[in-house]
Amino acid sequence: MSVPRRRRTAIAALLVLLVGAPLLALAPAAPGAVRVAGVSLLWWYAGVVAPLLATGIAIAVLVRGGE
Amino acid sequence: MTTLAAAAVWLQPVLLTVLVLRVTAGDAEAPWLALGALIAPLVALLAPTRRPADTNPVAAAAAAIAVALVLAADFVLAADAAALLGGAPWLGVMLAAALALLVPLLPATRRLGPPVLALAAVALLLPLAAVALRTGAAPWTAWSQGGLRAALTFPETSGWVRNGERFARAARLTFIEGQRVTTLNAGVFRVTERDATTPTVREWRLAAGEALTLRPGDELAVEVGSRLRFEAGRRVPGAPASGIAWADAPARGPWMLPGAIGALATLVGGALALVPAPRRRGPPAAMGPLALMAAVASAIAWGVYAAAAAPDLALGGSPLTPLLRLPSRAVGPRTGGTLALLAVVAVVLLLVTAAVALRERLATTAGPRPAYWAVAVGLAALLTAWSPDPWRLLVLGLGLAAAVWAPALHAAGRTAALVGSIVGACVFLTLAGLPVLAPGAAVWLAMLVRYPALAAMPLGWAAAQALGETTGTGAPRARPDAR
Repeated sequence: MSVPRRRRTAIAALLVLLVGAPLLALAPAAPGAVRVAGVSLLWWYAGVVAPLLATGIAIAVLVRGGE
Repeated sequence: MTTLAAAAVWLQPVLLTVLVLRVTAGDAEAPWLALGALIAPLVALLAPTRRPADTNPVAAAAAAIAVALVLAADFVLAADAAALLGGAPWLGVMLAAALALLVPLLPATRRLGPPVLALAAVALLLPLAAVALRTGAAPWTAWSQGGLRAALTFPETSGWVRNGERFARAARLTFIEGQRVTTLNAGVFRVTERDATTPTVREWRLAAGEALTLRPGDELAVEVGSRLRFEAGRRVPGAPASGIAWADAPARGPWMLPGAIGALATLVGGALALVPAPRRRGPPAAMGPLALMAAVASAIAWGVYAAAAAPDLALGGSPLTPLLRLPSRAVGPRTGGTLALLAVVAVVLLLVTAAVALRERLATTAGPRPAYWAVAVGLAALLTAWSPDPWRLLVLGLGLAAAVWAPALHAAGRTAALVGSIVGACVFLTLAGLPVLAPGAAVWLAMLVRYPALAAMPLGWAAAQALGETTGTGAPRARPDAR
């Protein structure tokens, strides 16, 4: 995969992760309020899963580099 | 430019402290704002390199005003700190402005930026680690405990109960249960009683030590600097009704989606304009994203511990209060005082690194003359008198950068960049000024008035792209160091 394409794919993935939080929070029937190990699904997603994935994606692209 | 240096421009004290306050208060928007605060700069770090805006006077002017707005939001925190310590808010603004003005002009500050940022992150994380060790709870355990509270009440150890606390900013407190509030300084207090069909407003001129008895539904207007004492065991006015309400924010609903998109678009657009492209690749490039994640994660954790241990810390609405008061409340006054000082040091260091990074951004756009930076800092100090709401100032700064500066950076040519900036500026100013220009229309377009970049940014970009295509000026120039 070319560098620009890799970057575009990574940005798209980051934006999908970002939009996931309001969708999970505001969807009908409030799926974000479901508790998993005492914490709501929304906060697991917005505070742990999405940040780790987003940081991992960014690091992978930045470290491989190339313009 | 390293990714760590690029991250410094994003890690503004105001962004992190407002996140802490919003999590503490159980704000419905807090989860996606926290995620946006992390992902927006990551998108900017990955985005293609952009053209310099120095050939575009509209973008350069917008960049200067945007930088001033962001700095003003930071200065409001300094005003809060001064008010909390019993001083005049303007004194805090002057001190912060002096720091922001002088430090970036000193030699070698650019080189010292990344290590100072790392030091600030450590200073922010150490008190948090102490709180976690003392309470014996990981952040997710603290979240769970906070979410199980039957009611958010004033504990006996609260400063609001023992000696009273100052309000760093004007506030309107809504009481959901009766409470006796003692005023510790003389002043006029306005109470809105809502027990009749028509609300009744009463003004009380009270001397120090006199008390007000408030009934459920009453609203108390408090001026800046007022010092009040509340009753232990009573519900915190303005706080969620219970731990479940704090955890799940029942006010959330699909109607909030446009606002959420507006906030996230503003964050991403602002980051695309403000966060410069890193030049260095390889393993050190991981430092920037890791610093961003550590900073945002620590802001969330500060908020969670504050909500679990002391939900009254959100009372008064100052973003600094949880950082200043949580350590004492969680680990005791002696050690807590030192840890709170460490948190203050972290905020000051963040202000310094952010000012250095912002000055560099301004220099690449408007020019490197110290006079430009001085004007931006002076304007920022003046703007604190215009709006005491740091989040509003930050949103306007990022929004302006997104609407006017970003289209110019991504345009295919000079003319396209200029047109994109002009279109973005016109739409942004019209929407932001709508409450003054047409109050009736502002009600219908409330979301666009709140986040003008939501409409201004795509229109500015569309104008720049359309012109770029029709004039055939080619692809954006690859100048990694020129953003």
